[in-house]
Amino acid sequence: MKISFLILLNKIITIICKIFRKQASVFPASIVRKLDSNILSKIKYPKYVIGVTGSSGKGSTTSMIAHILEDNNYKVIWNKSGSNVVNGTTTIILNNTNTFTHKLNGDVLLLEMDESYIKETFKKSTLTHLVITNITRDQPARNGEPELILNKIKESFNEEVHLILNVDDPFVNRLTYLNNKITTYGIDKTKYSLNKPYSNNIDAAYCPFCHTKLNYSYYHYGHLGKYTCPNKDFTRKVDFLAKNVNLEKQNMIINNQEYHLNKNVFFAAYYTLAAFALCKTIGLSDEQLNYSLNKNILESKRLKNLTFDNRLVQMIESKNENNLSYLQSLNYINNYPNEKTIILGFDNVSRRYKYNDLSWLYDVDFEILNLKNVDKIIIIGRFRYDCLARLLNANIPEDKILLIDDVEDIPKLLKTTKGTIFTMVCFDMTAVLKKIFLEEQND
Amino acid sequence: MIKVAHLYYDLLNLYGEQGNILAIKNAFKNQNIDIRIDYLTINDKINFSSYDLVYLGSGSDESLMIALNDLKKYAKDIKKYIENNKYLIATGNSYLLFGKSIDDVTSLGIFNYYAKSDKRLRDHSFMVYKDLSPIIGFQNRKYIVQNNENHLFKVISGLADNYKSLTEGYNYKNFYGTYLIGPLLIRNPHLTDLIVSDLCIKNNYKYHIDTNTPEYKAYNEYLKNFYENNS
Repeated sequence: MKISFLILLNKIITIICKIFRKQASVFPASIVRKLDSNILSKIKYPKYVIGVTGSSGKGSTTSMIAHILEDNNYKVIWNKSGSNVVNGTTTIILNNTNTFTHKLNGDVLLLEMDESYIKETFKKSTLTHLVITNITRDQPARNGEPELILNKIKESFNEEVHLILNVDDPFVNRLTYLNNKITTYGIDKTKYSLNKPYSNNIDAAYCPFCHTKLNYSYYHYGHLGKYTCPNKDFTRKVDFLAKNVNLEKQNMIINNQEYHLNKNVFFAAYYTLAAFALCKTIGLSDEQLNYSLNKNILESKRLKNLTFDNRLVQMIESKNENNLSYLQSLNYINNYPNEKTIILGFDNVSRRYKYNDLSWLYDVDFEILNLKNVDKIIIIGRFRYDCLARLLNANIPEDKILLIDDVEDIPKLLKTTKGTIFTMVCFDMTAVLKKIFLEEQND
Repeated sequence: MIKVAHLYYDLLNLYGEQGNILAIKNAFKNQNIDIRIDYLTINDKINFSSYDLVYLGSGSDESLMIALNDLKKYAKDIKKYIENNKYLIATGNSYLLFGKSIDDVTSLGIFNYYAKSDKRLRDHSFMVYKDLSPIIGFQNRKYIVQNNENHLFKVISGLADNYKSLTEGYNYKNFYGTYLIGPLLIRNPHLTDLIVSDLCIKNNYKYHIDTNTPEYKAYNEYLKNFYENNS
């Protein structure tokens, strides 16, 4: 009776929040969990309870899995809004649970989960499958070292959970030595692979068992790639290997079959491959995957595109807290083949914590922006001189960099630059820039 | 030529600390002074006496222990190196390696301080060093340090060695150990100038301090936004 009441309460508060346009994704469960913090252990879950976690790419991986499963007639309950901590997850589950039978109204519960909160959300046996995309430096001012993130994830499940692991990441690969059922995925050498990393800030460079430096045959980015322990104490065994990743043609090959990538960025290969591995694990056929990935293609989230002075403006919100995510965005800008002007900067490092620690600036390889087709890099924001120092230290020519004290001066300055405009600024400055561009567009 | 070693560049480089090597490299380059940086790690032979400055940054607990096991064989060489007034800069948890112990693990024992694990503590820091304007930085620490001598910084705000202490870090001759993480020498160009100008004097080079650099502007801007407005 009490459980029914709490489920109903969650649903009613959600409706009220929606009417008053308040935080309907988090607030309802914050009330319900005060009344019963163990409410989630009393729900009757479906056959598949799938978690997706990792330092980056978990949202895209979750969307892709949801797309494939829904395409194949599974009823999927998932956190579309990306609300991935305890209250957000609880709200979604309770709103999709039958008030009287306490059964979840779906065939699959699929959750993007913050790696620090799995343990607080579920009992160790609730998840049936857990996909781990990667473990990298992520919000280091808050989380500390990647090993701590790995340990938090490890403490959140028991031996019953089937793990789907990206073994290109040596941290994630450590979990293959557990007694769980394991399915692994990785990407073969591509034409974009690096023989050595851009800089020396590589995590997990050593064998976790014999502490000998790992030998890498190639790197995709960061510490992701193909490696072996010289003493053979630590190996990378791949069940689902993606070959011939081609970002220009937007495709890759898995098990001799070509699959489409819905975005021309490298991490699209990872989230598509992760979704593929998970779906194969729960029994989907090659035909079903072929249909969902090649025919009924999931439309990728579009960037906020505007125009300025008849030039295209592409707005990317920078994720300062994760150097490899930031690098992926820089790579996306770099891959654009024509002339471009880039706006960088931030007023605050993160929306998730108050610390303005600047260490991450020196973990991002800004060196890659030293390209002929970059006309100018405009720097804005409260930390503009820190950004200027970083770019100069990365050997970006001084005459390519323009510094702006007042963002209102951007339109005037932009008119002196050439090419497509890419903005990659923090959350608060994206809104300011968008307003400036819209005003110009309407003039 | 100035010779610098970045020790355990692939293990103790957790918080953008390669920025410190860039700061040193560029400081000498801007003065047209030749500089060589050696990147050294596990199993490389480290000839301490051949360097003018040795740098180590932060690492995970696991990496710190791998580095400690490798470094132990050099304890005597390091002691001699420090006694000879050579520069050794250790930032973040790497400076704990030079004390007596880290929890139950015996470290190099060159100095008397020791570290005990505690809950994770993190904060912005403003520190006093000699008569310089404030040293700025950030700490993300899981060890507190017991130390009764040779304090490096007086703490204006932020974390000290331990809950009772008002000081942070360790300074003996030209050994500088601090729990400040990240690109400390980029963010504090006045500290970099102090170290680099002293190295220049020792090696008979002239050194001209230029405060019209982005690093100085960034430092002044940070003080304006986060120090002067709050103090």
